[in-house]
Amino acid sequence: MTSSSSPSRKTLSKIATNRLQKELMEWQLDPPCGFTHRVSDNLYRWIIDVIGAPSTLYAGETYQLQVDFSDHYPMDAPQVIFLHPAPLHPHIYSNGHICLDILYDSWSPAMTVGSVCISILSMLSSSTAKQRPADNDRYVKNCRNGRSPKETRWWFHDDKV
Amino acid sequence: MDSEDDMHDANDLESLDDDFYSGETGMGSDDGDGDYEFGNNASDDSDDGNLNRQQENYTVLSEDDIRQRQEEDITRISTVLSIERDHACILLRHYKWDVDKVHEAWFANEESVRQTVGLYENPVARTFSRELLCGICFERHPCDRMCAASCGHFFCYSCWRGYVSTSINDGPGCLMLRCPDPPCGAIIGQNMINLLASNEDKEKYSRYILRSYIEDNITSKWCPAPGCEYAVDFVMGSVNFDVSCNCSHNFCWNCTEEAHRPVDCTMVAKWILKNSAESENMNWILANSKPCPKCKRPIEKNQGCMHITCTPPCKFEFCWLCLGAWTDHGERTGGFYACNRYETAKQEGEYDEAERRREMAKNSLERYTHYYERWATNQSSRQKALQDLQNMQNVQLDKLSDTQSQPESQMKFITEAWLQIVECRRVLKWTYAYGYYLPENEHGKRQFFEYLQGEAESGLERLHQCAEKELQTFIDSSGPSKDFNDFRTKLAGLTSVTRNYFENLVRALETGLNDVGESGNQPTCSRSSSIKSGKGKNGKTRTIGGTTSRSLDDGNHSHWSCESCTFANTKSSMVCQVCHRRR
Ligand SMILES: [Zn+2]
Ligand SMILES: [Zn+2]
Ligand SMILES: [Zn+2]
Ligand SMILES: [Zn+2]
Ligand SMILES: [Zn+2]
Ligand SMILES: [Zn+2]
Ligand SMILES: [Zn+2]
Repeated sequence: MTSSSSPSRKTLSKIATNRLQKELMEWQLDPPCGFTHRVSDNLYRWIIDVIGAPSTLYAGETYQLQVDFSDHYPMDAPQVIFLHPAPLHPHIYSNGHICLDILYDSWSPAMTVGSVCISILSMLSSSTAKQRPADNDRYVKNCRNGRSPKETRWWFHDDKV
Repeated sequence: MDSEDDMHDANDLESLDDDFYSGETGMGSDDGDGDYEFGNNASDDSDDGNLNRQQENYTVLSEDDIRQRQEEDITRISTVLSIERDHACILLRHYKWDVDKVHEAWFANEESVRQTVGLYENPVARTFSRELLCGICFERHPCDRMCAASCGHFFCYSCWRGYVSTSINDGPGCLMLRCPDPPCGAIIGQNMINLLASNEDKEKYSRYILRSYIEDNITSKWCPAPGCEYAVDFVMGSVNFDVSCNCSHNFCWNCTEEAHRPVDCTMVAKWILKNSAESENMNWILANSKPCPKCKRPIEKNQGCMHITCTPPCKFEFCWLCLGAWTDHGERTGGFYACNRYETAKQEGEYDEAERRREMAKNSLERYTHYYERWATNQSSRQKALQDLQNMQNVQLDKLSDTQSQPESQMKFITEAWLQIVECRRVLKWTYAYGYYLPENEHGKRQFFEYLQGEAESGLERLHQCAEKELQTFIDSSGPSKDFNDFRTKLAGLTSVTRNYFENLVRALETGLNDVGESGNQPTCSRSSSIKSGKGKNGKTRTIGGTTSRSLDDGNHSHWSCESCTFANTKSSMVCQVCHRRR
């Protein structure tokens, strides 16, 4: 077995493409409940509609997730944000950034877009108050120059919403 | 320089030619001060104790030492627990390289340790099929193209390589890498890394393991000097935090700032913060040139000591700090070279410099400025002394041993003098931070403090003069000088006296100046001979800048101060113990 060189960018990009094609195919066969992928030619940016689960604060409301993948996917986590207007939630900032550990430190390449979507929906469903995080204004101001949420050093809110 | 060889040299030479030594002073050996005897001011016996304690409470480790210790620890755990070295390394990392903790936890509950660390014994998932789906690339691969950690979650080699490489290039977190299967906590050890990573990444990983041994271990730290690769292992619980790295950097093990005895870490942090806050206001002070107080031509300070002589034809001698005539700092006014009298300077208000300051800043800044300027001056004097020491060792000693036709091994007293100067500048520097924080209303303590600081400072100035200017005449002379042996005696004596002054100062400040009596003008320092000798000074009243300060004399007229070197001799001796001048 050969182990003497790091995987090159080209191999990674091939892995990313293969893997995304497989995920997309899987999604089309069996989409996660409450999510719709808007069809586009761009394999590296998915726009996904989310419908709030019944009998939760967000029941019937529709929001859009934008998921961006790098050449290093799935070794690197995708960048996931809510498009404007982002749902009012104690872990979601008004600029759409989401404070959820699996999108950053706890990402694993064995996770998928589908599993991320399900985590986000469960985060929404367990919310008991429609409000912004306490530090929303400060955080959003700091992100004005177009900073990606992946550059933030997240201090994760506790699990209880 | 190998000090033991030098010592043998010295001893051999001594037996061959006794004339190298001025006989009765008993300075037979050129290393250590323990051999010097100055009448009743016999060497302080706690010195050796200090030295030993310092050597015992820390160890400097090179990279090889670190690797060796790490290997030894891994071997111990691997042997005692009967597990693979790879697993022993994982356990040690988890328990911050504390061998005892690993033992304790393992023998208390092996199963629970395995679960927490992620070292599984029996794979959770096991498979016997010939082809498997890789959970990362979602492709099927034959089993021999796949591998798994102790949990048995299989992924293909290519995905593993991407996973491992991404993690290693993300930083030291790769030491805690776990199986990619989301809820699985199986740890990935070095064996598996070596199987999957590129050579470059393997190298990075092994550096992280080495770094972890120092950075995660609560008893060790890297030397903070830029570019230094030594680490220091510290005996926890030791009182003295000062450590000296093999790179010659001295630092405080506790806060990793440069060594700062006698002030404590909290005060150092406060002072450094204060300096950075004030630094904008301070820029004007740091200008390295001042006008000569007499002829007004700008003078740049280029020697380490505070005694400045203006260029000819003026030749005015003055003190760099207060710009006062140097004659005011001499024996005539009480035998002190010191210039630490802020209160006096403020009262007098005669100096241009002081007036300028008054215009530029408010009272508090002015007070801070006083201490900061002296702190910074001692800092740069220390740097200068370090350079001088290097120059001395690299060039001057060679030259000197030529002109005086004496072997270089006989010049060690000069190196020792300069090492003492460097150390004194360091201590003195921090006494100014101490002085800044010493409450103004504690008059007794302040007075005692300034007295001790003055003593130390004047001792240092004498030593510096001798090691800088007097030495130069011997270096420049055309042939051997008969005065050279006297010079040796004097400089070695001054070095020893100054060391004592500074040790007393450090001790007094570290104990919070608690030896000072209620009356405030009766400083007593129970067992320090040199303080007493300092107080002796023929019972003269100390006068500074025309203002009479309260007498610090304890009425003990048992000493006389030498006119030439100011060494405090016992009454019984008629000749100065240091410079042999008659009383
Ligand atoms: Zn696993
Ligand atoms: Zn794979
Ligand atoms: Zn060092
Ligand atoms: Zn410290
Ligand atoms: Zn002049
Ligand atoms: Zn002065
Ligand atoms: Zn003398």
